[in-house]
Amino acid sequence: MTETPTLGSTDAAWMASRRSAAVDRLADLAMPSEREEIWRYLDLDFDPDIPSAPNAPGGAGGRDTVLDGWHGDVVSIIDGFVVTEGVPTIAEADDEVSLVGDDDLFSTAFTAYAPGAALLTGDQLTSQVLVDVQSTSSATTFPGVHIEVPGGSDASVIVRFRSTTDVGATVVPTVTANVGDNARLTLTMIQDWNYQTRSLGRGVISLHRDASVLFNEVGLGAKLGRLHLDINFVGSGSNAKVYGAYFGEDNQTLDYRYFMNHIGVHTRSDMFLKGAVEDNALSVFTGMIRIEETGQKTEAFQTNRNLILSSGAAAQSVPNLEILANDVMCGHGSTVGPLDKDQRYYLMSRGLTPESADRLQVRGFFEEVITQIPDEAIAAWVRDRINGKYVAAQQEGRV
Amino acid sequence: MPNALEVRDLHASIGDLNILKGVDLTVPFGEVHAIMGPNGSGKSTLSHVLMGKDEYEVTGFASIDGVDIMGMTVDERSRAGLFEAFQYPTQIPGVTLDDLTAEMAVSNPSDDGFEQRIAAASERLGMDRFRSRAVNVNLSGGEKKRTEMYLLGVASPKIAILDEIDSGLDIDAVREIGDMIESLRSPDRGIVVITHYSRILAYMSPDRIHVMVGGRIVKSGGSEIAEELEAKGYTEYQVANA
Ligand SMILES: Nc1ncnc2c1ncn2[C@@H]1O[C@H](COP(=O)(O)OP(=O)(O)OP(=O)(O)O)[C@@H](O)[C@H]1O
Ligand SMILES: [Mg+2]
Repeated sequence: MTETPTLGSTDAAWMASRRSAAVDRLADLAMPSEREEIWRYLDLDFDPDIPSAPNAPGGAGGRDTVLDGWHGDVVSIIDGFVVTEGVPTIAEADDEVSLVGDDDLFSTAFTAYAPGAALLTGDQLTSQVLVDVQSTSSATTFPGVHIEVPGGSDASVIVRFRSTTDVGATVVPTVTANVGDNARLTLTMIQDWNYQTRSLGRGVISLHRDASVLFNEVGLGAKLGRLHLDINFVGSGSNAKVYGAYFGEDNQTLDYRYFMNHIGVHTRSDMFLKGAVEDNALSVFTGMIRIEETGQKTEAFQTNRNLILSSGAAAQSVPNLEILANDVMCGHGSTVGPLDKDQRYYLMSRGLTPESADRLQVRGFFEEVITQIPDEAIAAWVRDRINGKYVAAQQEGRV
Repeated sequence: MPNALEVRDLHASIGDLNILKGVDLTVPFGEVHAIMGPNGSGKSTLSHVLMGKDEYEVTGFASIDGVDIMGMTVDERSRAGLFEAFQYPTQIPGVTLDDLTAEMAVSNPSDDGFEQRIAAASERLGMDRFRSRAVNVNLSGGEKKRTEMYLLGVASPKIAILDEIDSGLDIDAVREIGDMIESLRSPDRGIVVITHYSRILAYMSPDRIHVMVGGRIVKSGGSEIAEELEAKGYTEYQVANA
């Protein structure tokens, strides 16, 4: 493990000036308000305590099922610090990488206080990478990952977020990717923070000519688990497949704000997210397909399906379209509802108890998205985790 | 000896709509019966009410092998020995046929014959390529009926009610399914085939044919009834019943 230098001491020149500008701006930035559309439905009545980033990473967490089943490389980030030897950060890079603008309190705080996002490119991407992002501290931390996929190449990255203590934290994760001409990225994000942690995540993926991304997100943990994702279809012919599976229980809020920004011609996005909520959990999905004037021949589709498993739970599902081009094809669908009665009846008529019928139905509901996760061991782990939450709720009479 | 199925004065309604208006039906073990009747006469409703679907207000009596099923839930009726092949089988996305039959076995721990019946029914109906696919999802009409027959073979019930198992089947499949129903005839089982066509009955030897009109069984008899209906339709019964 490397010695941890003081914050900013290894910054490249561009980063140093960006950092100090962000520190200055922070003084004027307030907590966002749920009156703003992009923060609507949330309970923002908490103090994010910025700046409070620790100046050294906490102790490393142990191995677990995900790591044990993993055969590729591992990059560890603890409390925002990249602790794996030989992995550079964007803060030290010669060229500026800034895919997230400093457009609110959290993104500006990230610029000001993140030690530096792990920079994955070239050598780091020759085999599959699992980024193990750990939180140990009650301080607000700023873990980041930037993936630079060179033109014509393939990269496969899984970013898994976890708490290795039961301390409640505020975390501002930022994952960005630049996918070069004719390059392909497979990116899977797994949010598995403890139920005391608030995570205000940002993601930006920029796709250049004929680039493609297969993006999967799994939402398991967090008191507030938010991901504001932008996919920028900059290059012509670029395309994205976006899948999601989330399961909320207890008092969790799982919050997804996905923006598909179609700029180049002949681009395509397919969004497909499935979620379930039980107890007093809330899920939010707002999907925006935005097609610029230049985005002719765009094909863009979004579907969000939600299961409400107990009466105290709720799901907001809001598909949006903003279309400035005239030759495009778009579609959207959104459903929020309880388990299907006809399916329950059919399964019970085959001898299944109502509990096994519902368990099978919940499992089947998520299969469509879980099977999109490219790593089979990870997919199996996700399947067990999601179904395990439902089975536990059944056994405890919460659903 | 009790009968496979006994139904006495069964009524079912939804709101103000009376659908079943006093159905009486006895199916002894070892027999195969057919129910024919015009669209909307209540045949599928009878299947669902016997299976215990909770949409209806129900009065009357029904038993399987002498056991009163009226107070039972749907799954209890299944375990008591009732099988309904659905006219419109339900899609279960993300759940494979193998997942379903595995759960059927788990739900009936006292029955250790599942593995053997899964193998036998799969072989007989050529189900191998369907078993890893989601139940009834993206299947053709005929493939869904084949799936229902497969699940019938796996369940091995005391009384099977097959609701239009022959609709949507091609000519060869009608013969195949007709033969299979006849081969499932057993001293431990009764079978009821609900159909609109005498074609499937030609491959079986039904012991009795019942005519259902307006929520009642209005006539019962031998196979001559099927021929008579083919020739004359239901008009005389509907007039008589009006
Ligand atoms: N859930 C329901 N709500 C309202 N009406 C219903 C419902 N279920 C059945 N019915 C009505 O009850 C009557 C009997 O329907 P059923 O499906 O039992 O007929 P069927 O004899 O099976 O007809 P088919 O030969 O067309 O399959 C029909 O008029 C139908 O519209
Ligand atoms: Mg019918």
